[in-house]
Amino acid sequence: MVSSMAEGLIYDIKLSSVGPGTVTEPDMVHEPSDMDLAMKLHYLKVIYYFGKQAFEGLTTLKIKEPLFMVLNYFPVICGRFRRAESGRPYIKCNDCGVRFIEAKCEKTMDEWLEMTKENASLEKYLTPNQIIGPELGFSPTVLLQYTKFKCGGMSVGLSWAHVLGDAFSAAEFLNQLGKVVAGEKPNRPINLAHLKTKSTNSGSPLTNMEDPLSVKRVGPVGDNWMTVNNCKMEAFSFSVNATQLSHLQSKISSNGTDFSPFEALSAVIWQCIAKIRRESEPKVVTICKGMEQNKADGNNQLISVVKAAYPIVEANPGDLAVLMKNAALDQREKIENAIEKDNGVSDFIVYGANLTFTNLEEAKLYEFDYRGEKPSYVSYRVDGVGDEGAVLVLPGPPKNGGRTVMAILPENEVTELKSELKTEWFMI
Amino acid sequence: MPQILPNFLSSVKLKYVKLGYQYLVNHILTFFLIPIMVGILVEILRLGPEEMLNIWRSLHFDLVQVLCSSFLIIFIATVYFMSKPRSIYLVEYACYKPPITCRVPFSTFMEHSRLILKENPKSVDFQMRILERSGLGEETCLPPAIHYIPPTPTMEAARGEAEQVIFSAIGSLMEKTKIKPKDIDILIVNCSLFSPTPSLSAMVVNKYKLRSNIKSYNLSGMGCSAGLISIDLARDLLQVHPNSYALVVSTEIITPNYYQGSERAMLLPNCLFRMGGAAILLSNKRRDRRRAKYRLVHVVRTHKGADDKAYKCVYEQEDPQGKVGINLSKDLMVIAGEALKSNITTIGPLVLPASEQLLFLFTLIGRKIFNPKWKPYIPDFKQAFEHFCIHAGGRAVIDELQKNLQLSAEHVEASRMTLHRFGNTSSSSLWYELGYIEAKGRMKKGDRIWQIAFGSGFKCNSAVWKCNRTVRTPTDGPWQDCIDRYPVHIPEIVKL
Repeated sequence: MVSSMAEGLIYDIKLSSVGPGTVTEPDMVHEPSDMDLAMKLHYLKVIYYFGKQAFEGLTTLKIKEPLFMVLNYFPVICGRFRRAESGRPYIKCNDCGVRFIEAKCEKTMDEWLEMTKENASLEKYLTPNQIIGPELGFSPTVLLQYTKFKCGGMSVGLSWAHVLGDAFSAAEFLNQLGKVVAGEKPNRPINLAHLKTKSTNSGSPLTNMEDPLSVKRVGPVGDNWMTVNNCKMEAFSFSVNATQLSHLQSKISSNGTDFSPFEALSAVIWQCIAKIRRESEPKVVTICKGMEQNKADGNNQLISVVKAAYPIVEANPGDLAVLMKNAALDQREKIENAIEKDNGVSDFIVYGANLTFTNLEEAKLYEFDYRGEKPSYVSYRVDGVGDEGAVLVLPGPPKNGGRTVMAILPENEVTELKSELKTEWFMI
Repeated sequence: MPQILPNFLSSVKLKYVKLGYQYLVNHILTFFLIPIMVGILVEILRLGPEEMLNIWRSLHFDLVQVLCSSFLIIFIATVYFMSKPRSIYLVEYACYKPPITCRVPFSTFMEHSRLILKENPKSVDFQMRILERSGLGEETCLPPAIHYIPPTPTMEAARGEAEQVIFSAIGSLMEKTKIKPKDIDILIVNCSLFSPTPSLSAMVVNKYKLRSNIKSYNLSGMGCSAGLISIDLARDLLQVHPNSYALVVSTEIITPNYYQGSERAMLLPNCLFRMGGAAILLSNKRRDRRRAKYRLVHVVRTHKGADDKAYKCVYEQEDPQGKVGINLSKDLMVIAGEALKSNITTIGPLVLPASEQLLFLFTLIGRKIFNPKWKPYIPDFKQAFEHFCIHAGGRAVIDELQKNLQLSAEHVEASRMTLHRFGNTSSSSLWYELGYIEAKGRMKKGDRIWQIAFGSGFKCNSAVWKCNRTVRTPTDGPWQDCIDRYPVHIPEIVKL
């Protein structure tokens, strides 16, 4: 199939599938946890930009081969969704596989990165954009797009349904792929799925509880797992190098408390957005953080909310940072109860229910090693963010030591935020 | 109680009667010879040595007579040995094992189908029903070009698949037999649906630098039974050329023949045909008598093309949208049954023991003269063969043959398991089945094997082999990593 998008910018697109090399036992299923189901309308999109050497001389078959081998260890992402009798979605591990897309770009990688600096939305052409639905049983949850640039560089675009796991799980998958390419065996057990257990239909005594602050009930979306926004969302990213970062941290710190880069950046952006939104300033924000201890697959982030009792616009960013550090209320149990209430059938969003700040500083995005080459740049965003927007704090390229910030906001707020950050905080 | 006992007694009696009858008829010559020999011996003993010498002297042999008779005997013996057809030995064979990157699970096949045939949900449902009942497993393989949505069957991709399958099979055969390319005298390649120029046999000659005076042949268009046609051709050539090796390559190239339309009768091959190939080394050299695995005993070919319905039952044509595919008619099974009957009528007298042939003759005469309502006697082929390799054309074919020949589940196990693991690999499926029997360690010296294949035309071809030496369980081959999982139970319908 030869088709093209964006006026021929990306062309020669070919679709196929890659599944596990060995047969998964029949009747293996994976039941997503309540936390997983809360995230089902969100999709992670990661783009790894590699230089010429990483993929030089490799045919498509040679690129697919290690994928066949690594997918033996990930039977869950090769499966497809079904609904149980109660309506709760589960994954049947039927070896269907991930979608594999090959494409070419008519620009060199440097030209492309220049273009995306001004117009970040172009990056959506480097990742597959298929959602889960309208047929659950025939929608892949993970899609990979390998785009070859004119200069020989290659971008690996991953579309990862958040219901499978958080950014740490997604990064783990590709890092294991890198290991297999290097000839090592992944250090994971092969079969993590299990035979279907009789799902206990817990009649809920919690029907009277309100939904937690950190999520927003939407829909029902049925079998079309996507967020419907009232305004168009736009993504833009900027990097903060190590010097700027330390500058910022010292500027904000008060009473000797030190703030992490995430807390500093989030506090600053919170105030800027409050300034932009004026009357409807975000008094409540959601914070998502990875849990160091939990290395399992799935959604293991710590989701908490922070409530400000005073107007944000006049507040000291240092105070906001203190709030984020100390006054965050763990919402996980409340979220799980909300999902359990109707056995996972209802639809929720987490990112964008309130203005969300996600701490992905520890995500091992730059550890994806392909034939000895690490990515020169990694771009990360979330699709399906609600109207309140989300800000992701990501690790920067290892050489710079700073951070990359990706903000997904309603499009009319983007320019104002950019100018605010530039003038007030000298960040862009 | 008394009801059951007579039944049991009668069935036991019948069994022994049958056994006794078979033993008697099959060894009838021995039964006649023994009394005669005993009689002569008794007579000699009675006469005594002097009487014997007297009888001998009274015969008046003179020199000329003796010379003439011995000359006659030698002459007849020479003519007999010279006109005896050469023994054809199967030295070794190798089957192609597709890489894991070509694997197509059911779910992937159905998902791709849904995407390609977006506008024809009925056709997609039809494919799903076929796949559920097909008897295929989750490890069958399709070539890389067919993995794309939609498939990209270019000539280059087809050649690529041909090279991968054929060279891999031949390479592994050469490694097993230690034969040099220059030793090959005859080359026959059969591939029904892909016939490029230069031919696939020329491709093999080019790759392995075979001799310039090689006798090479390329058979195309002859369907799934072409493998046995190639063996028949090799046999005839080896009669004419003494002291030669013949390399036979049987395969089917899937890439250019994947049907891209939505006609139901033409979607069937897409669901069943899979990648596969085999390379076989035949020889008529005396020294291979020791190391050869099998000896070719008979090849029987039956062609029903004279009948219009048989001719058209597997027909390649364009669908209303102009897409080319193979149309399988609804009376395929009936025609296959007819072709089989024809074939076994010819092969029966060649292989069946005398007891079965006599029974068949009696029932035939009985039906013609006494009562046409008598059930036709189906000879028991299990007495003629230890192993059966039925072309894994589809579950229906194997079921039909199992019923017609009254075979047990173990006899058709090789066919069913080959269909499960490799799908319908067309002409090479017989070799995968043989490989299964060997991998299970069931092949002993003296075992007789019957290979039956059906093909478009409509043809039914059989080959009979005799095992030359007990085959040790091979440590390589396509079954090596999965034989321990087999036999598997194949459900009637697999829930997708």
